[in-house]
Amino acid sequence: MLAIRNLSKTYANGVHALKGISLDIPNGMFGLLGPNGAGKSTLMRTIATLQDPDSGSIHLDDLDLLADKQAARRTLGYLPQEFGVYPKVTAEVMLDHFAMLKGVVDKKERKALVEALLRQVNLWEKRYFRLGTFSGGMRQRFGIAQALIGAPRLIIVDEPTAGLDPEERNRFLNLLAEVGEKVVVILSTHIVDDVTDLCPRMAIIAQGELRLVGEPLEAIRSLEGRVWRKTAAKEELAALREQHNVLSTRLVGGRPVVHILGDRSPGEGFVLVAPNLEDVYFGELRRAAAPVAHAA
Amino acid sequence: MLARILAFERRLILSSPLFWIVAIVFGMFGFAMMASDNVSFGGGIGNVHRNAPLVVINLLAAFSFLSPLLVTIFIAGAALRDFEQNTAELFFTTPLRKRDYLLGRFGGGLIAACGVMVVCALGLFIGSKMPWLDQSRLGPTPVLAYLWSFAVLVVPNLLFLAALVFALATLNRSMLYTYLGVIGFVVLNVVAGNMTSNLDARWIGALADPFGSDALANITRYWSSNDMNTRLPSLSGLLLGNRALWLGAAVLLLLAAFHLFRSDREGLRLWRRKAVSATAVADTPVLSNSRIDLPQIVLQDSPSAHWRQFLHQTRFDLRGVLTGAPFLVMLVLGLLVMFTVLSFSGEIVGTKVLPVTSHMDNVLRGGLGLFLTIVLAVYAGELVWRERSLRIAEVADACAAPNWVALAAKFVTLVTVIAVFCAAGVLFCIVYQLAHGYTNIQPGLYAKIALLAALPFVLTAALFVFLQTISENKFFGYLLIVIFIAARAGLPIAGYNHPLYNYGTGIPLPLSDMNGFGHFLLPALTFRAYWGALAVALLVLAAAFWQRGTALTFAERRRLARARLARSSGRFVLAGSLVAFVVLGVWIFYNTNVRNEYLSEDAGKARRADFEKVNRAALKDEPQPRITAIRTDVDIFPDDLRVAIRGHYRLENKTSGPITRFIVDLDRDITVRKLEFAAHEASRVDRDNSFTIYTLAQPMAPGAQMDFDFELEIVERGFSASGAESAIVDNGTFLNNFAVLPHFGYQQRRQLTDLNDRRKYGLPDVPRMAPIDDMAARANSYIGSDADWIDFETTVSTAPDQIALSPGYLVKEWIADVPGEGQRHFFHYKTDTKIIPFVSWLSARWAVKKDRWNDIAIEVYYDPQHPYNVERMVEATKKSLDYYTKNFSPYQFRQVRILEFPNFHGSFAQSFANTIPYSESVGFIADLRDKEDIDYVYYITAHEVAHQWWAHQVIGGNVQGATMLSESLAQYSALMVMEHEYGATQMRKFLKYELDNYLRSRATERVKEQPLALNENQQYIHYRKASVVLYSLKDYLGEDVVNATLAAFIKAKAFQQPPYTTSYELLDLLRARTDPKWAPLIEDLFDKITFFDDRVTSATAKKRDDGKYDVSINVHAEKKYTDGTGRETPGSINQPIDIGVFARGADGKESSEKVLLLEKRNVADGDSTITLTVDALPYEVGIDPYNKLVDRNSGDNRRKVTLE
Repeated sequence: MLAIRNLSKTYANGVHALKGISLDIPNGMFGLLGPNGAGKSTLMRTIATLQDPDSGSIHLDDLDLLADKQAARRTLGYLPQEFGVYPKVTAEVMLDHFAMLKGVVDKKERKALVEALLRQVNLWEKRYFRLGTFSGGMRQRFGIAQALIGAPRLIIVDEPTAGLDPEERNRFLNLLAEVGEKVVVILSTHIVDDVTDLCPRMAIIAQGELRLVGEPLEAIRSLEGRVWRKTAAKEELAALREQHNVLSTRLVGGRPVVHILGDRSPGEGFVLVAPNLEDVYFGELRRAAAPVAHAA
Repeated sequence: MLARILAFERRLILSSPLFWIVAIVFGMFGFAMMASDNVSFGGGIGNVHRNAPLVVINLLAAFSFLSPLLVTIFIAGAALRDFEQNTAELFFTTPLRKRDYLLGRFGGGLIAACGVMVVCALGLFIGSKMPWLDQSRLGPTPVLAYLWSFAVLVVPNLLFLAALVFALATLNRSMLYTYLGVIGFVVLNVVAGNMTSNLDARWIGALADPFGSDALANITRYWSSNDMNTRLPSLSGLLLGNRALWLGAAVLLLLAAFHLFRSDREGLRLWRRKAVSATAVADTPVLSNSRIDLPQIVLQDSPSAHWRQFLHQTRFDLRGVLTGAPFLVMLVLGLLVMFTVLSFSGEIVGTKVLPVTSHMDNVLRGGLGLFLTIVLAVYAGELVWRERSLRIAEVADACAAPNWVALAAKFVTLVTVIAVFCAAGVLFCIVYQLAHGYTNIQPGLYAKIALLAALPFVLTAALFVFLQTISENKFFGYLLIVIFIAARAGLPIAGYNHPLYNYGTGIPLPLSDMNGFGHFLLPALTFRAYWGALAVALLVLAAAFWQRGTALTFAERRRLARARLARSSGRFVLAGSLVAFVVLGVWIFYNTNVRNEYLSEDAGKARRADFEKVNRAALKDEPQPRITAIRTDVDIFPDDLRVAIRGHYRLENKTSGPITRFIVDLDRDITVRKLEFAAHEASRVDRDNSFTIYTLAQPMAPGAQMDFDFELEIVERGFSASGAESAIVDNGTFLNNFAVLPHFGYQQRRQLTDLNDRRKYGLPDVPRMAPIDDMAARANSYIGSDADWIDFETTVSTAPDQIALSPGYLVKEWIADVPGEGQRHFFHYKTDTKIIPFVSWLSARWAVKKDRWNDIAIEVYYDPQHPYNVERMVEATKKSLDYYTKNFSPYQFRQVRILEFPNFHGSFAQSFANTIPYSESVGFIADLRDKEDIDYVYYITAHEVAHQWWAHQVIGGNVQGATMLSESLAQYSALMVMEHEYGATQMRKFLKYELDNYLRSRATERVKEQPLALNENQQYIHYRKASVVLYSLKDYLGEDVVNATLAAFIKAKAFQQPPYTTSYELLDLLRARTDPKWAPLIEDLFDKITFFDDRVTSATAKKRDDGKYDVSINVHAEKKYTDGTGRETPGSINQPIDIGVFARGADGKESSEKVLLLEKRNVADGDSTITLTVDALPYEVGIDPYNKLVDRNSGDNRRKVTLE
């Protein structure tokens, strides 16, 4: 269990990245959803010991992550949002390097571990290829491999599927799902489907604050019967926005499809639809100064 | 479109703090150069104004050496920006034309770099206007010179470098290749510079140097001070060629960058990449669903685990560096630099030295020098920022390895780079030695040399790592590094030369085959340890400041550093190293400033100025006794670095009045244990200026004699800041009486001589030497004013395995046990005739070669490792004795002894009575295997032997022109011996070097140039110019006439008592003995400063029916006179000049040259045509083809003949 208490961070340029975040994250996949600039990466980096908060604490079971950074680094795996590679180094050598840096100092152990990890992420066939030649998806899988070194109890994955094609994305998510139940895995993303597909628990963060914490299914269920959809004409959109709580406006087949949150039908042409996580997400984002909802 | 891109670039640059920082730093450099009176970089010395046009040009040329830094920051940065920040594709999808894009990026960067240089020039200008400067050393602001520099040097240099860097950056998209280009650029310049010492290779160097500085030097080499103050160099000849060549190269590079530029993802596809499969590797299709069990691992965190991580990270980083193509290229470039150093260093008049291992020490250090520093700077930046540049940092930083692992790995990688360079250098030197047939390799010595050479670089590496770590970004780190390099070079120039505050420096550590590293090693190592302690502290600080995780402000990092230090063992290491630093610093200070004296340059000058102000008026003309006999017991203890002297003078009052006071001058570092002479009292002690005034109880009557006894002790105490000046060493002690024995009277040599210094300290102008007709001055010889001809006797003792030598005949030699000292080796020497008062004592472990010429014993005392040229020296001595006794006068002694002394005592040979000490680096290791090379061993030996006549028989009075009678006549004598041995062709080669040296040195004149007969101990005149002048005299008058005159002169003047003779007396004799038609020639050669400008403008030949050839030569001949500061007046040619026609042998070499015709002809002033007929096919013609006349361009005297 990862216990985050009152984490705050303000950057030198005045940006309030985190405003007193408190969160409990149990074992298993946890989705952290939020728009760009919400504070996700700041939160991820702070947990990954790369950054110090202004105030607050983070405990993984009984380990204080902020106080003992070295111990923290031995128990976590981090796949950052943007990571580069040494282009001329092969996958095997690179993974071996990270394993060494993490503390797998015995040569035989390391060799066995590297092989197992590469097989796990299905890059064993490509172990002699240089990382500079890897596609985006292969690189992300490699990233997971290094995050898994040393059987960490906490894995932080920051925006992993951005830029992957659908097949690569599937492969990646499958991999992530197999990581294990005894591990806290925080998946930080702005792609709602990732959370829907993978995470039994989630939180929505926006402008440095938590908007919603709970189970996706519960959150979805709480919107049941309140989401209306209509394929509208472009000219109607402005009026709709003014009069109703518009969740999203998406183009389907080139025509705008509007989702509106309301207890009653907003009008002509609207049908009730089963809500999805996207609706929950946009709903939270649109809620101005609304209290954080704690679902059961 | 282009204009808008440029505007965008300009805005970007002007808002970049880096640009302003760099601009301000450069501006300050410029300001400091001009505003500090002490700095005379660029040639603003003596009569040359500090802001003379040429000085300004030299300064700006020197600054453009820093343009690689600018170019790297602004141009490479601009070129790579789009790719690193991934904005590239944004640009390439707009309708922007490739040309506009590239020119815009390039133009922007170039403008920025030029902007910085403009600020630098502004700094120079403002600096020169500062009110505290000595106004008489400044001239009017040379606006044209500033413009000229920019147009010819600064901007083209930037342009070329920018083009190179831009091409590399856009094509390769890697900063490392960019650095490579920059380093290659610098190396070319160094290589070209190394070629300047060889006259024939100079033009190659001038063209090859991309900075243009060598070409500039070529054009201005012979400029006088007046030239430097008024002229602008003409853009012609080699300079024009150089600029055209490199501008052309710049254009080609830009074109290449333009054509080969690819806006797509892959950039330039090099052939190598095609072999590897295409960019996107095909992925495996199916993911198996079976879970693979990961082995159970426990992550280690122990110190031993950290150690292994460190080793691993080091190997990883090292592999990255060593396997990169840039590194290999840098290594090759470094070897190239070393090669040119090897080829040209140690050369004297174009003849090389044997590649002995001790010489390789110079090569290694010289070759590595600045080059390796730059390599380290580049890699320090690359390594420290590696993870961040590649964006691996976040992953790596989240791993559990401690901070110090990364830092230590990068530092050790740098150290390994140093080791690789040193090893490669050593290997290269060994190969060079073997290739030149030298097989005495001495691996142990190499190991020591390499280690000692590497240490300073290790210290530098630590500092660079520290600077990069605390910097916010890589380029700021580079800036700090550049500032450090400039400061390290600049502080000594500005007069701050104590090694205690100049990071990484120490005192010189000379290496001699005779003495090894000697006792200089320990102080050198002490300095290394001192800075090493600081380096350790810096590394600990770097670890504390090491960037981990997201970038923080400097204040945050400082806080974090304090926290890190507080909780780790790092603080103990930091404390310990700082303590060691302070302790060693105190120990060093105790040695350099307490046990010995340290004077900064300014303090030293001030002292000398005070000495004169306080004492000259009162003491200069005070009558003093003369020494008529010297008897000394000198005990040399090489192991203790100690000498004990018990000495006796016989003094005589040769003045016409009583002497009431003795002014006794004795070096302040010598301890006086006893001083006994007639009753006296020390009335004034001036320890700083090394003299004491004793007032006699009873004045010494005229004609009276007195005994003067003393006991002295000289001991090396610790070490001094300036380093290796000890006369006493383990093997190769060399003392002379001016350094170690007392002298009488006011010592003029302790005054300031440089006119500018004198003005600065408010001293009046005093003549450098007394005027030639000053009878009072002629009462003294120029050797010294407290003795004439003396009797000399000495007993010198030394260690049992050494030989001690002194002028005089060996009376007795024995070994005895001395209580308290052990076994000692004694030598008793005595002269049986009077000699001039210049004596020495030497002691070393020598091998001896003995030979005879008639009944004169010839002995060469040499280090057993240097037997190479001993035979040559003996041979030269024999031939010299033969020639001189036949042509001048009998040799006054029964022996000639040549002694080898270690190179750090100096690079010269010197003549005492029948004793000639000879430096190991001059002659003993000359490589004379190539018969085409000038045999300077022969020449120097002949010159020194000649001094036994010119100085030890005839000695001039202490007035102008005195050295003409000793040095110039010795040069002449040696030239004659050489010519008889080697022929006229080698003469020409030799005279060319002498002429070049004379012309080159004129601009370094600090007071005023003089004609030869009036020269004031000006070396470039009494050696170099004299060679040409006297050879020319002999050429016109005939060898016999000249020799007969010299013989008559000796007959009249040898061993004379004061008033001593002068150069005018010789010239009067010459005029009296020769036809009056030679009087104008004698005047031109000796009484005036005369220059010729002779050249062949064209030469044609036509074959006649009778097989002979008609040759038509167009010549230009001009004569000019100049005053001492370089102002010229025209003259008229009044002597015939050699006209020569030459053929060549089948091999086409100059050595096989045959003279078809050589005769002296009257040549008109200006242009004229000469027609001749010769019997065979002519190859080339010449006016003054043997360079017998002082001509400012000796290269255009000959020309190849075009056959019609």
